[in-house]
Amino acid sequence: MFSFKSATAVSPNRVLNHSTSGMAHIGVLSLAAIAGSLSYHSIPAKLALGASGLDASTSAVAEPAAATPAAQKWLIRADEVHTAAGAPLRGGVISVVNGKIAAVVGAPGGDDSKSDSDDENTIEVFAVTPGMIDLGARLVTHPDAVEQSTEAAVWMRVSDSLDFFHTGWDRELRSGVTAVLASPPDNDVMGGLSCVVKTGGAPELEARLVKQDAALRGSMGTQPSMGNTPASGTPQNFYVRRPATRMGVEWIFRKSFYDAIAAQSDPERDFEGADVLQAVMRGEIPMSVQAWLTQDIRTAIFLKEEFKIPHMWVDAAAEAWKEPDLLVRSKIGVVFPPFSFNGRVGREGGFLTFGAAKEMHELGVNFAFSGHGTRDVAGRLAQQPALAMRGGLNFQAALRAATINPARMAGVDDRLGSIEVGKDADLVLWSGRPFLPTSRVVGVILNGELVLDPRKDS
Amino acid sequence: MRTLGIYKFSRLAAQSVCAVLALSWTALGATAASPASEKLVVEAGRVITMAGEDIEDGVIVIQDGRIAAIGKRGELETPWDAPVVGGPEFVAFPGFVEALSSRGMDRPNESVDVAPFLNIRDSIDPVNFYFEDCLRNGIVAVNLQQGSQCVIAGQGMVVRPIGMTVEEMMMRGHFGLAISASPKRGKSRATQAQALREAFSELREYLEEIVQDKRDGGDKARREALYQGREYEGEKAKGREMGGTAWRVDGLELIPRAEIDEKREPLLELVEGRWNAFVYCSRPEEVHLALDVARDNGFLARTTLVLGSSCWKAADVIAEAGVPVVLSSSMVHIESDPYTGEEIETFVPGVFHEKGVRFALASSNSTSRSLWYQAALAQGLGLSRQVALEAVTTIPAEIIGFGNKVGSLEVGALGNVALFSGDPLSVNSYVEHVVLEGRVAYNRGDDKRFIHLYEGVEPAMAEPMTVVDDEEDGDDEKSSAKDKKSKTDKDSTSKGGEDEDE
Repeated sequence: MFSFKSATAVSPNRVLNHSTSGMAHIGVLSLAAIAGSLSYHSIPAKLALGASGLDASTSAVAEPAAATPAAQKWLIRADEVHTAAGAPLRGGVISVVNGKIAAVVGAPGGDDSKSDSDDENTIEVFAVTPGMIDLGARLVTHPDAVEQSTEAAVWMRVSDSLDFFHTGWDRELRSGVTAVLASPPDNDVMGGLSCVVKTGGAPELEARLVKQDAALRGSMGTQPSMGNTPASGTPQNFYVRRPATRMGVEWIFRKSFYDAIAAQSDPERDFEGADVLQAVMRGEIPMSVQAWLTQDIRTAIFLKEEFKIPHMWVDAAAEAWKEPDLLVRSKIGVVFPPFSFNGRVGREGGFLTFGAAKEMHELGVNFAFSGHGTRDVAGRLAQQPALAMRGGLNFQAALRAATINPARMAGVDDRLGSIEVGKDADLVLWSGRPFLPTSRVVGVILNGELVLDPRKDS
Repeated sequence: MRTLGIYKFSRLAAQSVCAVLALSWTALGATAASPASEKLVVEAGRVITMAGEDIEDGVIVIQDGRIAAIGKRGELETPWDAPVVGGPEFVAFPGFVEALSSRGMDRPNESVDVAPFLNIRDSIDPVNFYFEDCLRNGIVAVNLQQGSQCVIAGQGMVVRPIGMTVEEMMMRGHFGLAISASPKRGKSRATQAQALREAFSELREYLEEIVQDKRDGGDKARREALYQGREYEGEKAKGREMGGTAWRVDGLELIPRAEIDEKREPLLELVEGRWNAFVYCSRPEEVHLALDVARDNGFLARTTLVLGSSCWKAADVIAEAGVPVVLSSSMVHIESDPYTGEEIETFVPGVFHEKGVRFALASSNSTSRSLWYQAALAQGLGLSRQVALEAVTTIPAEIIGFGNKVGSLEVGALGNVALFSGDPLSVNSYVEHVVLEGRVAYNRGDDKRFIHLYEGVEPAMAEPMTVVDDEEDGDDEKSSAKDKKSKTDKDSTSKGGEDEDE
């Protein structure tokens, strides 16, 4: 049988079709960081330092403070380390201890430490990126995650309806997505509060939650009103759910926020969820709004401006590129749906150009990619940056839009989104230059645990 | 409307209707090499031949639609009077070959179960965007067959993705019958199998019946032929012993071929081993049915299976039967373990490669991604670059009966060259020119829809439809000022994103 686990061997020295310009050689290191990384005995000092000439720091090697299980320590050596925090390292070593990144060291040039690769805690791979973060992963699809009693279920938490036994989580994890913003399905105008969760770990919220109430989810367009029209006749009685049109959707948005403003000064008018909406208007909770088409993106932008919502992004915003001025003026963020080869995306028939991401980059708009939880390999988040690069986006910007940008948008960049000392050890290991269709994800480390082992790939 | 540079066949000039079409074609921005030229020289910094070694700094001489010479620049004598396309910045590639597709048609399925008398030519829409997309992505030949909603489909056709009429597009007509081993909508797997076998047993009964009738002195077949107005000419006027390796009907030579019901004739030719069959199997259990029917009716040697992704499970059976396959679905098969619930992913082309089955990748899968991307993805997932490239060039060329004619650059092959700006499998390479049979068929510089796909600038024909900006509530002065501004923006930066109207 030919499966991923028996695919061809990973060559760390694989020749790429693309130039690797822009790579920096890091020669100067933080001694403190190295000392931290070497404070466990199984890392040979010369391996961590390579040819960088800082052997003096071997004196920092100390006995580990406490016995840690072997699986908690990793040393990842890669030809390319794309940190998403500054220039990439050509040749680098990442030390992972107790689920965190303990050190990131540039180790360019000659490699006399190959013999140490027998160490079971050392992994050699072509490239490393931070774990990808998907703000639009549609992993919660079951209708019972939709609150039916109200169209503005702003106080509901999607974390209460997450199914961690769903196979979609592991699929995302294997393909390099280590954290997602889990949002309620978009059948309500405002479906509730989203949370950021890791895609792996024990199947319980405590083990996976990164940030509760990371965003309030809203939806424009046809989906929140879909199915609300009776099969025949008009929706005139109270048995029929509303809204049934785009204007009804917008009305519910505006009414909710106006009521929340009124509740601020008049305790009599307080209602469940008013505090959430007030927090959104104060910028304490970001708002993510599904809006595929130009008209829906415009509606979202006008609502942002009307209620002075500081932090908001449009999700699945295929046609955001048509509104460059409004995007810049309103400082709204953009999460792209998966790209398609004929430009047509989504049920509503939005038109997404290959060059859209490049344009966002040039405009200075904050943007991120999403795979929408696509089952097919070709539609997943890992493939999106390359398609944006086909439209002219540079590699570093594409990398950031799959990692640190979404982390910042969801307010989890203190822990996720880049390879920096102290952050969660969520790493993706690649067979070649990341994201290119000719490369693949061969390894994934989540919370310092090797969940996909590149050494079993050969 | 198509704006794909120049491409004309000389016979067009003789046909007044077509001459008008050709004119409009030219009017839409044809600027490159002279269409009247019989010679063309293609130069490239690298030539990926798919027939032996790549050539650095290569040159290809195309004469009368075929490759007359190929070699290193300087070492090869090139005609002094031939126009030249390309240059050292390009990578020349034979172009991709689509082993099977049901796109570019009006509707790809007919409701009749057994319809070998229908011809796909009546369904092909020459101005469908699909063909334009083919050129834009470097596809030079497409095997068009009916979709899988059939028992036995209409006759297919191999086309070049350019031309204003089906005749211009046609590379080989009457090519291939699609057959489905997968249940047509509304059928169970068993009734599908029954219908498929029945189609052949019904043919046999019919042939036996008319032979018997002839022996009994009747003229049933003749009267039917006259009624349908069929002509007795050439080979058709003669009877021929039944060919093929499977079952036969003795005495078929008594019946002039023109007397055989034209609705059944293609199926008879299939059984005689004179047609190619493309058999759809969406699931592995259908592979057995497909192979059995092909074996029992003598067309196994001319069968290609068109497979769903789970069919890798039948790879051993397929390898034993020795038939090539077209992988028309997702490249990675995903299945849940019934006990643990864990998903198991299988890289489908890898399985077939390991089993020694010849396979072609197809771009008509669920993601609609084109062949360059499919090949790149296949390489990323584990195939060698060479195997991945063969699966989109030489193997599909063999499958559609154009081995050494398309999919490779060698002397005697059709003069098809896709000039890429870089490596054909790189995301940052684009098809800059496509030469089809010695004529420039595509120039990226003239491709208005390319700009639409990449930068959002609508093709010129959409411009008159521009109306008032709805944000301004009909404030004409303001919106027209904005229109003017966005127009100058476009002129100065040639960047899209200003279009407000949808």
